[in-house]
Amino acid sequence: MSESASSHDSPPAPTIAGDSQTTAANESDTNAKCQTAIQSLSSIVTTTTIPSTISLLLDDSSVSAAISSLLQRPDSGSGDNNLCRWLYDTFQSTEPSLHLLVLRFVPLIAGLYLSRVPLRQPQAGFEAVLLALYAHETTSRAGQAVTVNIPDLSHPSIYHESKGPAKNNSTCLNIAVVSSTLDPHGTVRSTRRARIVGVALELYYSEISRMPRESKLDFCGACEKWAGQNGETRAGVVPEEEESVGVARSEKDGGRIPLPWELVQPMMRILGHCLMGMKVEDREVKEAASKACQSLYLRALHDINPKAILAAGSLLRLREMALDPKNQIDHTEISNDNVLSV
Amino acid sequence: MLGDQSSELSENNGESESPTLRLCANGACMKTTEVEAKLDEGNIQDAESSLREGLSLNSEEARALLGRLEYQRGNVEGALRVFEGIDLQAAIQRLQVSAPPPEKPSTKKKVPREQPQQSASQHAANLVLEAIYLKAKSLQKLGRTTVEKIFQQGIPDAQVDTRLQETVSHAVELLPALWKESGDYQEAISAYRRALLSQWSLDNDSCARVQKDFAVFLLHSGVEASPPSLGSQVEGSYVPRNNLEEAILLLMILLKKFNQGKAKWDPSVIEHLTFGLSLCSQTSVLAKQLEEVMPGVFSRVERWNSLALCYSAAGQTSAAVNLLRKSLHKHEQPDDLVALLLASKLCSEEPSLAGEGAGYAQRAVNNAQGMDEHLKGVGFRMLGLCLGKQAKVPTSDFERSRLQSESLKALDGAIAFEHNNPDLIFELGVQYAEQRNLKAASRYAKEFIDATGGSVLKGWRFLALVLSAQQRFSEAEVVTDAALDETAKWDQGPLLRLKAKLKISQSNPTEAVETYRYLLALVQAQRKSFGPLRTLSQMEEDKVNEFEVWHGLAYLYSSLSHWNDVEVCLKKAGELKQYSASMLHTEGKNQNTLLTTLLTSLCRMWEGRKEFKPALAAFLDGLLLDESSVPCKVAVGALLSERGKEHQPTLPVARSLLSDALRIDPTNRKAWYYLGLVHKYDGRIADATDCFQAASMLEESDPIESFSTIL
Repeated sequence: MSESASSHDSPPAPTIAGDSQTTAANESDTNAKCQTAIQSLSSIVTTTTIPSTISLLLDDSSVSAAISSLLQRPDSGSGDNNLCRWLYDTFQSTEPSLHLLVLRFVPLIAGLYLSRVPLRQPQAGFEAVLLALYAHETTSRAGQAVTVNIPDLSHPSIYHESKGPAKNNSTCLNIAVVSSTLDPHGTVRSTRRARIVGVALELYYSEISRMPRESKLDFCGACEKWAGQNGETRAGVVPEEEESVGVARSEKDGGRIPLPWELVQPMMRILGHCLMGMKVEDREVKEAASKACQSLYLRALHDINPKAILAAGSLLRLREMALDPKNQIDHTEISNDNVLSV
Repeated sequence: MLGDQSSELSENNGESESPTLRLCANGACMKTTEVEAKLDEGNIQDAESSLREGLSLNSEEARALLGRLEYQRGNVEGALRVFEGIDLQAAIQRLQVSAPPPEKPSTKKKVPREQPQQSASQHAANLVLEAIYLKAKSLQKLGRTTVEKIFQQGIPDAQVDTRLQETVSHAVELLPALWKESGDYQEAISAYRRALLSQWSLDNDSCARVQKDFAVFLLHSGVEASPPSLGSQVEGSYVPRNNLEEAILLLMILLKKFNQGKAKWDPSVIEHLTFGLSLCSQTSVLAKQLEEVMPGVFSRVERWNSLALCYSAAGQTSAAVNLLRKSLHKHEQPDDLVALLLASKLCSEEPSLAGEGAGYAQRAVNNAQGMDEHLKGVGFRMLGLCLGKQAKVPTSDFERSRLQSESLKALDGAIAFEHNNPDLIFELGVQYAEQRNLKAASRYAKEFIDATGGSVLKGWRFLALVLSAQQRFSEAEVVTDAALDETAKWDQGPLLRLKAKLKISQSNPTEAVETYRYLLALVQAQRKSFGPLRTLSQMEEDKVNEFEVWHGLAYLYSSLSHWNDVEVCLKKAGELKQYSASMLHTEGKNQNTLLTTLLTSLCRMWEGRKEFKPALAAFLDGLLLDESSVPCKVAVGALLSERGKEHQPTLPVARSLLSDALRIDPTNRKAWYYLGLVHKYDGRIADATDCFQAASMLEESDPIESFSTIL
């Protein structure tokens, strides 16, 4: 996770020493792991050819589409599902590029998993994958909480001067918990389900800049499904159709889930990225994200959840501002003088 | 006609623009037409030489001017071709050799402009910089972002004229954007930091833009920035350690600048800050920031409503309610749906405000129309909750049952809008349970557990309580055990407490003691291992504390007449007194149950040892703590009525206390029972029979813990 503030105040010491000797060994190890993953995937995904290297596989949209459609099958989350097993094994390999490969499918897995819970289907396969992600995060931050210090401007900072007394970093500030401490879990206990999925989403967010757009689109779709129907379509519906809304709502409401803050918070961060943090302007992702935001905002209104109203509302207003032509000025553009001189 | 004219006019305008474009240097001027024609033919050499001749320029100067012309004409590819013809690296090297040694960085930003002896080198510097800058802009527009090294080294810290300063400012602002677009995030981060931490003499608005862009980048890029290098740290000043901290710091600084009138208000800044601070659940800090925003930016109602959201998210209910009262005043915006719903929700949590809340909810129902019709169900739900809470305020029996049935009606109305909302199902269940319709209550409890997949702790507890009220203790225990299986260790407290009580109800004190011991170990471990950073997921409102467990045990031992054990437990609890006193005052929800256990066990101990006075004194202490405490009234009443067997004079006091208690809580079984005793000792046998009957009827539907502890 990003703000791994936990206990140490200084940045971790660089770990360079000794790396060079092990590089060669690591490399062959890595290759072996990647080849194993690719080989076992090719026995599961048979509708398209699997590229020969992981970097190609990461970008291969036809393989991703094939995996996605397998995941969307009704029985995909069961304990004996071989795709779940592959995802689990691949993540366990501790190989960063393989981690990315698994994380790419987190939105789809989490989306399907949580929405299917009330159906009482066996989902041990999905749970195994999610628990693996949770365990990884628990280990990598030693179970510690992720915290931030809320600055107090009366004390000087690197970016501003202040007349107030300079204070020690660790003592003067208001500590906020961004993600609470993690206890190890061997199974998904139902009351911890939202937390486990929330942590998987935190992990996904930590690699979000390397996730392909389709994965982000999957996520936006999951958000809408989780939020359920809270009056979105009413805006465009003509009064005559009012009667049919009841039916449509119940169908669409299939995926509606309880949305505690431990889920909403990482969801908001991911949507924030989709709206404002992507390297390349991607209109489709932005539109999907703002639809998801709209759904979550309406859901927050229905839940009268003030924190979620604030977070989703601010994203929506920022989106509106960004679309307003008067805010699209390029301040780095030169002035168009009529007289050019040197 | 008119249309024709205007289009003609605009065409003329379009044509007349280019003739006025002129190129000037060394006192001479020339029109661009001729040069443009040559450029259009792709003949850069010719264009260059006509400039050199016409304006007496050297080759570099001519090229720079041509590049700018092409750029300004919108022909970025052409501009790029021209700029590629200049050997910029060589020019930079010449520039760096001729540049004066950098002055000591001064903290004062004001620098005297215009120093004639430097004008020659500045002229050259500007030429090179502008060329590089426009080349970078052209590349950016073509989507082929590359970053020239010169920017990275910065610009000689010399005194600069306006034009050079303008290019420098532009460059400082553009550089991080270029790194970002080229995907080199770490370079982008250091470019942002250099822009903000070095002396570039940026004007306030462009500095504000850089700060905001950086904050947005930190908040949303998903790339963790390493903390700023030690070199940039002034001793004792605050250094952010991660993205969120740095972003929040920058946004707060920006807001302060706006408030001081040092930069132009940018509405997106407060939204970014709202996002960042609500992510960290620091909405009370956000409220402070909002309060400081200069007047005139937000309307007062807007401000009150946002502040109310902040305060209610921070759990400061009364502050939020006060603000909403102002904004919902008839002279302000009495129909604002979000404010009405929030106000009704906050009021529904507090019996004394519930009546007011019902009013807001009713207004929300009435106003949820058109586009907002979907919120009607929410209004009904809040109405139901408020009415249900209002029914708890002492009032006539008739009024109470009217409120209860109105509450059910409103919740049923809400279900028509939101039949898939598990929260609503739960609330409906609790309302039925409060009215002792246990069959309906258990149906809704089960439905809630199904709909939430058992993920919500209070669903399990509710079902167990309903079963206990139905006197189905062993089933209640099965549910509690199932819930324990679905709960992580640290969240098990309330379930274990429930289990212990169920054991007692099943006359199994030994196992009850076992369960309490386990609970005690858990609570003690929790106290030791929990820092302030651990938040318990679902039991914020229902923490079990050690003090309470000792009293639970004392109560249990007192029922077994193990007086020595009772004394030990009470002594242990007494050692935790420092927080017991504050707890009795603050934790309203648990106060009643706690007082009951505490006082009843004390009373039993002293009664068991035939010490009447200390027992009475303890109860009176309890009454002083909270004069409306039903358990205390009942306990004192009970004590006095038992005593009344021999001491007739105490009976009227007991009778008044117990009637009082029943006015507040007519379902209190013990109060009915002891009131029956009072009547009996006073010789009113018919009254006594009625009371005993009421008590025994209630006993058959009494939950093991009050239903109101879970809503």
